[in-house]
Amino acid sequence: MTVEKLNRQRVVHLLDAFARGDIETALSCCTDDVDFLTHAPIDVLPHMVPRHGKQELRELWQTIWSRYSEIRYKAPHILAEGEAVATYMHAYFRKRSNDRVVQFDMAVFYSFRGGLVAEIREIIDSYDLVQQVLEREIGPLITGARVD
Amino acid sequence: MTEHSLWRFSRALHRAINDRDFRDIEALIDEDVEWALYGPIDMFPFFGARQGRDAVLDVIRQLADNFHVRRFDRESIMLGVDSAASMLRYSLTALDSNKPISLRVAQFAQFKAGKLVSMRVLIDTFDLVEQALGRAIHLP
Repeated sequence: MTVEKLNRQRVVHLLDAFARGDIETALSCCTDDVDFLTHAPIDVLPHMVPRHGKQELRELWQTIWSRYSEIRYKAPHILAEGEAVATYMHAYFRKRSNDRVVQFDMAVFYSFRGGLVAEIREIIDSYDLVQQVLEREIGPLITGARVD
Repeated sequence: MTEHSLWRFSRALHRAINDRDFRDIEALIDEDVEWALYGPIDMFPFFGARQGRDAVLDVIRQLADNFHVRRFDRESIMLGVDSAASMLRYSLTALDSNKPISLRVAQFAQFKAGKLVSMRVLIDTFDLVEQALGRAIHLP
């Protein structure tokens, strides 16, 4: 099996573990010094700060699971080349607070070292994500109109 | 070894945006292309999903009307036989305000016979909106 196929399987394994809430198995796919970076407004999503190392990533994933009761992914595009894998995903997170589903697309780029994920970089349509998390339109806040 | 379709497409796209030369890009887009560039369409009408070459060319023309690409760096790239995924950092100038805009962009492209048949683009859109506004958005 090529390294690309292996790494692709490893990413799917990590995602499957995370989606069933098995954080320790997901973490076992990562290096001790795994580096995580997403691009999102941290005043609204304070848990989305950069994370370095397994413990910080564990805390992030535990925070996500404390807020969402169900997490699902579909990954229509997975590309692997050498020690890197890119995934384009449709993500569905069900809020514990009211059962509403936050639905968004995300791009995640993984870098591998020694068969383990050493780096995770995410890009999300963050404007839409914030609106769904807050359950309100941002547009009126920008234009200064009264928000109902 | 032939050049990957991504490189031809990328050169043609930047020529279209910066020089308003759309001839090469038109030839590299499949008639039935599927295109999605997600973001707030009320602020940026070129965002959204498009189907077909003419609709995509219209988006590229709107990008050319609004932005100049000063620089772009590919931070990560994966090439498949007929596909490509990349994470890029773009430095743009908004033409209406002359404001600099810096963006991280994820692109997932698929090609068939050298032509683009699918493109999905994700951007940190909250950051883009704040840069376009020139101020932070204060949320409740």
